[in-house]
Amino acid sequence: MPPIIRMVNLTKKFGEFTAVDHLNLEVEEGEILGLLGPNGAGKTTTLLMLTTVIKPTEGTAFVGPYDVGQEPDKARTLIGMAFQEPKLLWVDSPWDILNWHAKVCGLSAEERKKKVRWVLEQVELWNDRLKSVHAFSGGMRKRVEIAKILIQRPKIAIVDEPTAQIDIVGKHRIWNMLRELRDEGSTILLATNELYEADVLSDRVAIMHKGKLLVCDEPKKLKDSIPGGDVVEIALEKDITTAALAKLKEIPRVVNVLTIKQNQLKIYLNQAEEVLPKITEFFMKERLQVKSIRMSEPSLDDVFAHYTGLTIEEAQRE
Amino acid sequence: MAIKPVLHIVQRDFKYFFRYKWWVAGMISMNLADLFIMAIVYTRMVNPDIITDYFVFFAPGLTITALFAAAFMIGREINMEVRREISHYMLSLPIKRWELAIGRVLAGGLRGIIYMAPLLVTTLIITYIYTSVFPHPLQFLTIVLALFLISIGTSGLSIALAVSTTSFEKYITARGVVYYVLFFCSTVFYPMNLIQTALPQLVLLAQYNPLSCGADLSRAFLLGNPPFSPFMLVDIALFALIFASLATFAYMKVTQK
Ligand SMILES: Nc1ncnc2c1ncn2[C@@H]1O[C@H](COP(=O)(O)OP(=O)(O)O)[C@@H](O)[C@H]1O
Ligand SMILES: [Mg+2]
Repeated sequence: MPPIIRMVNLTKKFGEFTAVDHLNLEVEEGEILGLLGPNGAGKTTTLLMLTTVIKPTEGTAFVGPYDVGQEPDKARTLIGMAFQEPKLLWVDSPWDILNWHAKVCGLSAEERKKKVRWVLEQVELWNDRLKSVHAFSGGMRKRVEIAKILIQRPKIAIVDEPTAQIDIVGKHRIWNMLRELRDEGSTILLATNELYEADVLSDRVAIMHKGKLLVCDEPKKLKDSIPGGDVVEIALEKDITTAALAKLKEIPRVVNVLTIKQNQLKIYLNQAEEVLPKITEFFMKERLQVKSIRMSEPSLDDVFAHYTGLTIEEAQRE
Repeated sequence: MAIKPVLHIVQRDFKYFFRYKWWVAGMISMNLADLFIMAIVYTRMVNPDIITDYFVFFAPGLTITALFAAAFMIGREINMEVRREISHYMLSLPIKRWELAIGRVLAGGLRGIIYMAPLLVTTLIITYIYTSVFPHPLQFLTIVLALFLISIGTSGLSIALAVSTTSFEKYITARGVVYYVLFFCSTVFYPMNLIQTALPQLVLLAQYNPLSCGADLSRAFLLGNPPFSPFMLVDIALFALIFASLATFAYMKVTQK
């Protein structure tokens, strides 16, 4: 089956600044593709080009058979988008917003009567359906926004940080609803900066940084792919010197060392059981007291770090 | 041509119009108060040789003022949508771009007409009391058509301004200038012979100003003076056509930078 979305050198510049830089990425029909990256990576800009809200500076994308530059009207018939910043007018109520959205998306009056109620119950806003969203919390507004997609059930659902500002129980509810949507046959393109969300929800994850695609694969494969299959996190009593850091990297089977802070390291290595004693010995010799040691499996953060030398959190701060 | 999506857009804009009804009512009554005061002052000041009864002369002008203010409101809303990027939502909908644009222009125009309707009725009553004749139904329809076209043109003008000014301040300034020029250089508040004597430089502008044509067309059929000329209708139709097209074009281009 051909990919349902195909981005070809998709590029967006704002003045001199390149927000999305020659992106080549394909989304398969029926999958959840997570677009993972820190704030400013260019995720939202990419999604807005796919929904034909903004125009690419260079390159293009195909949504189904339609080129977003040539046939934007047709491309949009396949797409529904839940925005990162809820696009709601303050005087509106959830009921009004969803009923109108459903009408525009072609649902009959009869269907709407049933579905608007159903979706409002799903996102737990039925009791607040007639209040104006002006008085809503960020999380409630976000749930109105995501409800648009749930009622529309588009062939391609584009969701931009769908669970930001929503509590953990709410997040799980939404993830399940998105999975149901996919199981019904929709394709889901999900932008997120939350590692856990990308990991548990996505069939494949595409990692973005500074407008560029770093890598795209199944979460497990990504995590398995980075050299140094074990991760040891070490907290020290005092800061490590550059010289000591260099020596640490020399220890056999240590693949990479990431300094989260000067006294907090992430060591990527193979065969941790054998190397760990050597590492503790090394710190003793260097007179660096170890406060704590924690071993973990590599996460998508480690995949991101492998490509950029930064954790996602550090990249957010930049 | 798909009518349904256009109607959905119109329906949405109507809903917001009536949500703001108290705000609009407040705004219009402030305008009206200003204008009534002006009418009284002018009636005293104005030489009866130039305008015999200012209040009756002024009533059709008042209708145009309300129509203009109400039809112009859509621009303010669209400017806000573009600034807050709510336009992104509108642009992402499965609606063709021109359906969206036409819907907005049409909604603005219809809002003007609906708002103005009670004033038109008032004007009709005032002029009937004064002249003791009702206009021929065809004449009345012509007035409504002319007012509708002015409303569409105004809506288009406001949308074109709204999407081509980036900040709210700039939009407000532009709106102020447009209001001032269009009303000052027109026969909405005073007849052409007054402009001819006081400010002859503005005669040409006042003649081609669609608001003049609208006010004078109503006066022609309701008061019998100035005489009706087909030029009035042509002028108004051109205004509607030009600004509705301009707005559609601007809305389609600017909101998707
Ligand atoms: N309209 C715009 N004008 C100028 N710069 C923009 C605009 N939209 C986004 N950017 C910039 O492009 C970069 C990518 O933004 P965005 O796509 O929102 O990233 P993400 O969604 O991954 O956080 C950011 O540096 C942002 O400041
Ligand atoms: Mg974003």
